[in-house]
Amino acid sequence: MLRMTNLSKVYRTHMIETHALRGFEIDVKQGEFVTVTGPSGSGKTSFLNIAGLLEEFSSGEYILDGVNVKGLDDAARSRLRNEKLGFIFQGFNLIPDLNLFDNVDVPLRYRGFNARERKERIEDALAKVGLASRMKHYPAELSGGQQQRVAIARALAGSPKLLLADEPTGNLDTQMARGVMELLEEINAAGTTILMVTHDPELAVRTHRNVHIIDGQVSDLVRHSPSLLDAAAAPAGATA
Amino acid sequence: MFAYYFKLGLRNLRRNPALTALMVLILAVGVAASVSTLAILHVMSGDPIPGKSERLFVPFVDNGQPDGYVSGAAPDDMQMTYPDALNLLRKHPAERATAMFATGMAVEPPRTDIPAFQAYGLAPTRAFFAMFDVPFLHGQPWTADDEARGANVVILNRTVAEKLFGDANPVGQRLIMQRQPFTVVGVLGDWNPMPRYYKLIGSGPATGEEFMIPMATAVRMELTPYGSVNCSQVRDPGYASLLASECTWIQFWFETRAAGERADLHAFLENYVGEQRKLGRLKRPVAPALYNVMEWMEVRKVVGNDTRLSAWLAFGFLILCLVNTVGLLLAKFSARASEVGIRRALGASRREIFQQFLIETGVIGLAGGVLGLLLAFGALALIGMQSRSMAAMARMDWEMLGLTFVISICAALVAGLLPTWRACQVTPAMQLKSQ
Amino acid sequence: MEIRPILSALLRNKTGPLLVAMQVALSLAILANALHIVNERREVAARPSGLQDEAATFYFSVRNLNQDTPEQMLATIRRELDVLRAVPGVASVAQVSQMPMSQSGGTTSIAADRRQQRESGYASTYFTGDSLVKTLGLKLLEGRDFHPQEIPEVNEQTNAEVPTLVIVTRPLADKLWPGAPAVGKTLYFGTGSSAPGAQVIGVVEDLISAHAERGETGIFSMIMPARQYGNGGAMYAIRSEPGQRERVMQEAEQALRKSSATPMILRIKTVEDDRKDRYRADSALSWMLVTVSALLLLITCSGIVGMATLWVNQRRKQIGVRRALGARKLDILRYFIVENVMITSAGVLGGVLLGVGLNALLVARLEMSRLPLAYLVGGAVVFWAIGILSAYGPAWRAAGISPALATRST
Repeated sequence: MLRMTNLSKVYRTHMIETHALRGFEIDVKQGEFVTVTGPSGSGKTSFLNIAGLLEEFSSGEYILDGVNVKGLDDAARSRLRNEKLGFIFQGFNLIPDLNLFDNVDVPLRYRGFNARERKERIEDALAKVGLASRMKHYPAELSGGQQQRVAIARALAGSPKLLLADEPTGNLDTQMARGVMELLEEINAAGTTILMVTHDPELAVRTHRNVHIIDGQVSDLVRHSPSLLDAAAAPAGATA
Repeated sequence: MFAYYFKLGLRNLRRNPALTALMVLILAVGVAASVSTLAILHVMSGDPIPGKSERLFVPFVDNGQPDGYVSGAAPDDMQMTYPDALNLLRKHPAERATAMFATGMAVEPPRTDIPAFQAYGLAPTRAFFAMFDVPFLHGQPWTADDEARGANVVILNRTVAEKLFGDANPVGQRLIMQRQPFTVVGVLGDWNPMPRYYKLIGSGPATGEEFMIPMATAVRMELTPYGSVNCSQVRDPGYASLLASECTWIQFWFETRAAGERADLHAFLENYVGEQRKLGRLKRPVAPALYNVMEWMEVRKVVGNDTRLSAWLAFGFLILCLVNTVGLLLAKFSARASEVGIRRALGASRREIFQQFLIETGVIGLAGGVLGLLLAFGALALIGMQSRSMAAMARMDWEMLGLTFVISICAALVAGLLPTWRACQVTPAMQLKSQ
Repeated sequence: MEIRPILSALLRNKTGPLLVAMQVALSLAILANALHIVNERREVAARPSGLQDEAATFYFSVRNLNQDTPEQMLATIRRELDVLRAVPGVASVAQVSQMPMSQSGGTTSIAADRRQQRESGYASTYFTGDSLVKTLGLKLLEGRDFHPQEIPEVNEQTNAEVPTLVIVTRPLADKLWPGAPAVGKTLYFGTGSSAPGAQVIGVVEDLISAHAERGETGIFSMIMPARQYGNGGAMYAIRSEPGQRERVMQEAEQALRKSSATPMILRIKTVEDDRKDRYRADSALSWMLVTVSALLLLITCSGIVGMATLWVNQRRKQIGVRRALGARKLDILRYFIVENVMITSAGVLGGVLLGVGLNALLVARLEMSRLPLAYLVGGAVVFWAIGILSAYGPAWRAAGISPALATRST
């Protein structure tokens, strides 16, 4: 699904060069639920940005669902992002001036679906997260957990292959967090690959495997549960 | 606290200089446009003779043709016939009355280095000078005797007197006008009321009449009336027939002792019209009217349509600048949300935040007023280039100066109300968390 | 095109958009009316005077200080005309009672039929003792000029005769006798059974009135034959050869002064200066309106740019999120342009309504004229264009916002 080989990301300001990622390697198979952990400053966010085609990388190779990302222009990357990826952010990032229906609608508009198709998908997505009845409400009227569910609905509406989640439970209390995790597991069970950044070790344990990043490189590779992936995949990623 | 907020306001002017400069500039332009047109309006419609404007009256008697007259239509002319003027001068209940017409005379200066020139002047009766509080530099109005005889006496305005006689007092000197010798009996002081309220019909020289001679003298010399002569009927040629005709070309004023005597004067006028109707004149079914100074200026449209248009335009422009300023202030204050949050967290009440930001708006208004004043002077100078009479009107007095700042600060405050209110609504907690 | 969500987001956050729309509305309303007035005044000032060569035409007002008898005054006039005609470079001279656009002259009421209740209008009266048509270089469309023997000598002190022949301007002829040839018809000076009449012997294309009034009175003029004397002075219109006005003016003045034994008062004015003086106030008003209009556009422009920039800044995070969700740069650009067009459109609609209302007020209170729709339509187009252009900069910057902003913590 997602494979990065020898990937590097260097930030250059006036006189300082920061290597956010160096020689990074990762291979995520279709249907996996992978968590990415690491201390702050380790490069987690950079990795997620690059994985999500939000940023470019300095060197190396990144192949997403069979497409080599290098050399794609901004329009093509946006298209790829729109069709293949779904995003869930820590801060929910719903658009406050739009109601839930219109919020979920946003990525679909860029896809070019007609009105009827969009309506179907939005209603399905909101139903899946259990908020179909509140379609006309605004984000400010919802609790944190509900807002995150709407964000998940937004991410799902376009039937993405890969879901990228950036600390999705970071702003939620334990009960809501549990609810969201359960939802994500359901979605993964239904066949969507999920890549989740988190610093909560308890969550990291619940998933198929965990990639630990320190100083821009994969440092640990822990497999948590036997899955059909175990047998097929060879261990990927180099050690420090 | 006011001084503290004022200082903060001043300091914050420097923050984000581009935005502040734009705000001050736009406010200044709006203020300048409004103030310059207001200044002109102020001069044009101001009371030119406060204290007396309620006691000076122009009588109007419509002597137009009755055929084809539509009720309510504007009169053909609002001047008076010569016979009517004489009748009213001879017998009236008011304190004073004067009649006048404008005319021109060829002046042959006593000095040979100045060629003969055509001078523009007024031929009033002697009550004119007392009625309109005309100041004299030298001499005094001609005597009643001079007036009765139609003597060759002349009063010069200051400019002409200096041109012909230098700085010396010319009273008693001789001057050849219209080929006849005239004796100078007086020189007017600086007197050039704008608008020329005493003679609104017919334009005159922008700098004021150059000479004054008794109306009787002008009539005796058969001087051509300048300005408008309006004849509703065909008349015989010659000066004598002009004097006897129904042509209107004389302007007339009454002065009463008190404003309350107006009703009596009006009754007298109605009586006069009744008498004249019995003699077969004044056939139009129009009642006579009296206008005091302000009413007369209104009727004669001293403040012309174009001036009014300019005033409206300036006002609309100011509103646009105001709306624009509201937007700019919203932008400016929204960037300060974190500062507000911190101040609130440190104990400032909503009211104190409101005061602070409103005073800051006031400071912007002050800056706008200063720049606006400069721009207004410039605008008035430009407007004055239009014509000499405009130049005399395009002036700023102390009242207008003060008004500039009042307008500017009030405009800024009004514009600032919404943004300031918004700024107060910021909750401390939310802003502290964000960057 | 995501019109509905954009609209719904705008309605949730009305203040900013309303401020911009108000500015557009106000500017459009004022601009349309202002430009209409400017155009009107320009049209009035551009009216042809009818003169063949305005730049070469000037006039003298001569006043002799002698105490002459009327007959002596007449002789003086003839002499002065001879002197003037003898000056080299003079194409034509005529004695005249008033000059076009001089703001000094006579007007009389006229009617096609003396039985009319009301007069048909007012016309400016030009009396000439020579050929005004030739001197001013007027274009004769129908009929003919006066023959010298048709021009009486009129002692203004004693002679009450009203002329019996008249030359009118085309507009005056059309008003009195629409669609019919005017030559041979009689017009009356006023209404009523005793109103005198005169027969039209010629029609000139244009001769602007002495006061050059706005409206039809400004183009209604009549030329009547009379050599007027007896008032101690005369006015002479002179047309020089093209390009020679200044020299001819000087030489004519000298010749005239030399020809008189006694000093004379001579006033010289050119038609060009008269035109400038007559339209100075209108010109000043026009300049003021144009200046204010330009400022209006600038201020509104800056208002739109300011607001757009503010919103882009306030919504940086949101823009990043949209990009993360798959919006291309073009989509972001389009979003802001569409948003701006919607706001500008609301402003334009308000401006059209306000402009019509403002015009109604101007017509009622200030005697201005009706605003043709074209100004509002033109103004609307201008403001739409300005709206889009002004918003383009901030929209472009918005499109440049990185999608990585979405993952950045607040």
